[in-house]
Amino acid sequence: MNLPAPFRRLALPLLAALIACLAGSAPSRAEEVAPKKPPLPKVLSLSVQPATLTLDNLRDARSVIITGHTQAGYDIDLSPRAKIQPASGMVRIGKDGYIYPVKAGKTSLIVTAAGQRATVPVTVKSVANPPISFVREVMPILSKSGCNAGTCHGSAKGKNGFKLSLRGYDPDYDYHALIADVSGRRFNRADASQSLMLLKPTGTVPHRGGVLFTVGSPYYNILKRWIVEGVRSDTAKVKRVVRLEVLPAVPHVTLPGMTQKTLVIAHYPDGTTRDVTREAVLTSSLPEVAAVAPDGTITAARRGEAALLVRYEGTYATNGITVLGDRTGYKWVKAPDFNYIDALVDKKLQKIRALPAGLCDDATYLRRVSIDLTGLPPTPEQVRAFLADRTPTQQKRAKLVDKLIGSPEFVERWTNKWADLLDANSKYLGESGVRKFRAWIRSSVAANKPYDRFVREMLTATGDAYENPAANYLRVVHDTSTATESITQLFLGVRFSCAKCHDHPFERWTQNQYYQLGAFFAQVGYKSGDAQGDEVVFNKGEGEVTHPRTGKVVAPQVPVGHLARTASLADRRAAFAQWLTAPDNPYFSRAMVNRLWSYFLGRGIIDPVDDIRASNPPSNPELLEALNQDFVSHGFDLRHMMRVIVLSRAYQSSIKTNKWNEDDKANFSHFIPRRLEAEQLLDAINLATGTRSKFEGLPSGARAAQLPDAVSGGEGFLDLFGRPARETPCECERSSAVSLGQALNLINGPTVTDAIHSPEGRVAQLVKTVPSDSKLVEEIFLAALSRLPTAREMNTALQTIKQAGSRADGAQDLMWALINSPAFLFNR
Amino acid sequence: MLSIPGQQGRFCDSLSRREFIRIGGAAMLGLSLPGFLALEAQAAGGPKPSGKGGFGGAKSVILLYLQGGPSHIDIWDPKPDAPANVRGEFKPIKTNVPGIWLSEVMPLLAQQMDKATLIRSVSYTPNGLFNHTAAMYQMLTGEQADRVSPSGQLEPPSPADYPNLGCHIAKFRPPDVPMLPFVMLPRPLQESNVIGKAGTAGFLGKAYDPYYLYPPGDDMDQTKMDHIKLDDFTLRAEISKARLERRANLRKVIDDGMPELEKAISNYALDEYYEKALGLILSGRVRKALDLNEEPAKVRDRYGRHTFGQAALLARRLIEAGTRFVQVNWPSVANGDPTKTAWDTHAANFGPLKNLHCPKLDSALSALLEDLHQRGMLKDTLVLAIGEFGRSPRLGVSTSGNGNAPDGRDHWPYCYTGLIAGGGIPGGRIYGKSDATGSSPVENPVHPTDILATIYHTLGISPDTIIYNHLNQPRELVKGKVIAGLFS
Repeated sequence: MNLPAPFRRLALPLLAALIACLAGSAPSRAEEVAPKKPPLPKVLSLSVQPATLTLDNLRDARSVIITGHTQAGYDIDLSPRAKIQPASGMVRIGKDGYIYPVKAGKTSLIVTAAGQRATVPVTVKSVANPPISFVREVMPILSKSGCNAGTCHGSAKGKNGFKLSLRGYDPDYDYHALIADVSGRRFNRADASQSLMLLKPTGTVPHRGGVLFTVGSPYYNILKRWIVEGVRSDTAKVKRVVRLEVLPAVPHVTLPGMTQKTLVIAHYPDGTTRDVTREAVLTSSLPEVAAVAPDGTITAARRGEAALLVRYEGTYATNGITVLGDRTGYKWVKAPDFNYIDALVDKKLQKIRALPAGLCDDATYLRRVSIDLTGLPPTPEQVRAFLADRTPTQQKRAKLVDKLIGSPEFVERWTNKWADLLDANSKYLGESGVRKFRAWIRSSVAANKPYDRFVREMLTATGDAYENPAANYLRVVHDTSTATESITQLFLGVRFSCAKCHDHPFERWTQNQYYQLGAFFAQVGYKSGDAQGDEVVFNKGEGEVTHPRTGKVVAPQVPVGHLARTASLADRRAAFAQWLTAPDNPYFSRAMVNRLWSYFLGRGIIDPVDDIRASNPPSNPELLEALNQDFVSHGFDLRHMMRVIVLSRAYQSSIKTNKWNEDDKANFSHFIPRRLEAEQLLDAINLATGTRSKFEGLPSGARAAQLPDAVSGGEGFLDLFGRPARETPCECERSSAVSLGQALNLINGPTVTDAIHSPEGRVAQLVKTVPSDSKLVEEIFLAALSRLPTAREMNTALQTIKQAGSRADGAQDLMWALINSPAFLFNR
Repeated sequence: MLSIPGQQGRFCDSLSRREFIRIGGAAMLGLSLPGFLALEAQAAGGPKPSGKGGFGGAKSVILLYLQGGPSHIDIWDPKPDAPANVRGEFKPIKTNVPGIWLSEVMPLLAQQMDKATLIRSVSYTPNGLFNHTAAMYQMLTGEQADRVSPSGQLEPPSPADYPNLGCHIAKFRPPDVPMLPFVMLPRPLQESNVIGKAGTAGFLGKAYDPYYLYPPGDDMDQTKMDHIKLDDFTLRAEISKARLERRANLRKVIDDGMPELEKAISNYALDEYYEKALGLILSGRVRKALDLNEEPAKVRDRYGRHTFGQAALLARRLIEAGTRFVQVNWPSVANGDPTKTAWDTHAANFGPLKNLHCPKLDSALSALLEDLHQRGMLKDTLVLAIGEFGRSPRLGVSTSGNGNAPDGRDHWPYCYTGLIAGGGIPGGRIYGKSDATGSSPVENPVHPTDILATIYHTLGISPDTIIYNHLNQPRELVKGKVIAGLFS
């Protein structure tokens, strides 16, 4: 925070308190500060969605959205202030604003708002009153009221002796759970209102889940009538939703305070539709940007982007919401494009009315790209040489990148990264196995093996894992469920693990698909190899997966697309690997480019990078598509993608924000600093202080990134700074958080202090060999921060050296201060 | 960005999902860590003073974790009328509370029973094999180990593990002063080569791991508490306090020259951590707390001049200095080796209990209760002494698949005893009751998760709080129910 030091202590709690108010610790307060509705602009015409209505039976209620087209050229939602009148008595407007049928026939609605008028043709097909449908009417109430949520009766063990399927993924299960009631109290057929199913949610009898609806409410009436009609199930015969349509496609909520009515229309295989807005579950990914009420009304709260997520009967839909906010004075300023990335980033920034940050300077770029590509900051000599080079900036940076990519340091860094993701861990592989696996990864990285081939080699490997080290990955994912979960999370970016116990709660992935995937790995065999600790991986040619619910054998099947025509299930792994790594697999290559992007820009276009799902949309889909095409058309060349990314203007942006991008976190309008990774930090400390950590089993002079395993080396330092344990494929395993223990260690722990005070180290050498104080300061800055000191910093440092007990003390203190500064601890 | 879609409306604990999502999102807004924690604290029920039924009555917790599984019948729940192959060799003795009897191996505790409650009906049925690791995981995280590892046992710690209760407490109730929130000592939890399971923050992230204070030395070395390493907290000879202050000042001046960077990383709360850490080092608060030499010899003797006694004393010093949660693990583990001071008495149950283990437990636990009481600390410090299970009522039978000598007792999670005191829980009581042979509860059975729920409750954390794991899936803080009877 840019405040004079004495105010900083004061400002933080104030800020926290302010955000606490805004962030909803007191909901009533949040309403008080909610922005006022903007004034109504001049409206030229109206349009109505849906443009026509068809009502199928007496309970088929519909609603419409009325949009005003303004003189200023934008659209606003006029639904709340529009007046709707039926042209005849064939339909009526209910108290809830919905249109209900009265008599079969054709009529129309007359809509007036903001001095304009529109008509909507209406057809009432019939006024029959069919029995209540369990699937279409009862199940949605259980979802909408939260009965089947994961924290209530949808939890793995249910709640208070009553269990439903999570979010209603299994209507059959739920029907049987409801009717199979030992005490017989859940339904009272003689007096339906005395049924537990009505007494509990209305709070008539104590209910830990609270009062969910009241006696006589529409939900109550539907459930009651269903009980009166004999609690019948229609799970076998009712047609399921094929698609959800969310209206309007683009919500008109540009300014805080604006509202937008939303309708959810379910489409059925026979072409009929239903308005299921009130039955669907609607949520906003970021309620502090735009909240959505249970009736579907979106209210913009502040500038930002959110996703509207709609769930109904196991079908999902997502809609983007952009609240632009007041951008008066915004003017787009075009900066040069370095490659296609910049045009696409800019396009998005223009859409949200943001301006990109300027370029970072040469010293910053050198440090940033060196750390990102090789895991090491530049040496003082490299900094001096780079700063002295007069080649035009972009040419100079491209030359640098070409030198770094493929360098031995680069190979170590990316070998270490892959070893993390592939869980190269002696726990699974033994010490020898982990070294051999790492060597195989290393040779793959060194040869720039195409990513698809790299993955295929691992997934199809057979034989002795010491002789064919690629086979070690299958030793890591030793059982079918680990294989299913790790491989999908790592290579598809999808968290299938949810589907082990239930259908994925926010995605189309089902429990069946989980076991179908598992079947591809059911025939992997393992036997001891010749050497101790070695294993042979082979295809058993037999072995099946059974579904835990049905107890039946599940045949292998892919969750999206289909296996290649030529694929043979004789080798299930080969068939799977071929499908997985195909250029047209919608997940495989996208997941990887998204991951790569996040390694350099600090955040995925889809984020978290291993949680790709419809309800977690990309912040810039066009950019992701372009990167994906580039990756696939370049034969899954990882180095090519890295080069394109680090030479983009987006990557070269400064961390310095401007008025128009300071609130942006997801659109790459400025660089986001990241704490150095554990190995990077230890290596950087060694480089700055001219010392070397000793790693058991590695030659002297080795760096932390060369450690073959994640369990040894660094004497606790690496673990303290979040080195991953290599037990799960989750990127989240590596922690980049800051903790009290870390601060203690950096301030006063042996790693930093010993390195600074080492008699062979850089500080001692400089003090001995550099007579000039200002030259000494320069060298320490170059070594620690990869840049020269500013004039102010030079002054402070010279003073420090003068005031210290000795020149050596002063130099040590300066090195300490720089290593403990965020400019050292972060890649920025 | 946290973006979990879900139903609008309330959780079972009546806090709305929206509030949770907003709170989760706040971390991304650059909200400072302390502010964020304060928000979390509010979400968890608020740091309200002692309210209904003991809610918020405790400020801190000392857990004497008796890993290995001490024999309940031979220590806490004597059964003088049971057959010889059940009642064992020890006789009951009177305590300072009429009607409460303890085993003769606990004479010092007998004089402090007015301060504590014995829960004699702790009971659970393990899933599958009931080895130590799985049972410790159940006790300390509230979850069954098979939810994180297929075998349910002998799995090393994983980042996907459920957190130790102290980690949740450290997160929801950060210390009021700059101090280590959660300290675990003097050795890790262990079974065979599995070390530290159930003693980590698991999916909460390493930031919430306990501070592990494991002095070097063998388990049998009873002087190891005199060899605590204080590297991080002790200034080195060449760096005086004044010099560290100069360094910190220089760091600040240099950082102030980079305001853009400071702004860009404000969400890491780096400066707050530095301020706290420097405060810890410069104030000497931790170093002072860890210096047992500051205690009068008489007090050190009273706790017992052995690792467990001195560790219990150190726990009191840490709590005094502001630590929220201290877990003292029983300092030695061994699978049935009667010469080691370990509770896992598959063989030679009686001699070692009488001569090795119980005197240490007796002196340490009784001294801790007496000392906390005398200092006025017992009223807001919750003390719990418990193991992962008790031991089989019948001698020389196998109940866990382990071999047992005729004078040994096997694992027994179906009924055993825990001692709880302080933090608003009145003393001098028995809660729950075991049957004639100490085999199963006959009154008020208490599940380990109920004990966890009770601890959270006394700290003012609602046990119904929903937490999110590393994959952002909602999970219950604990499934148990508060043991209301302890407070009334």
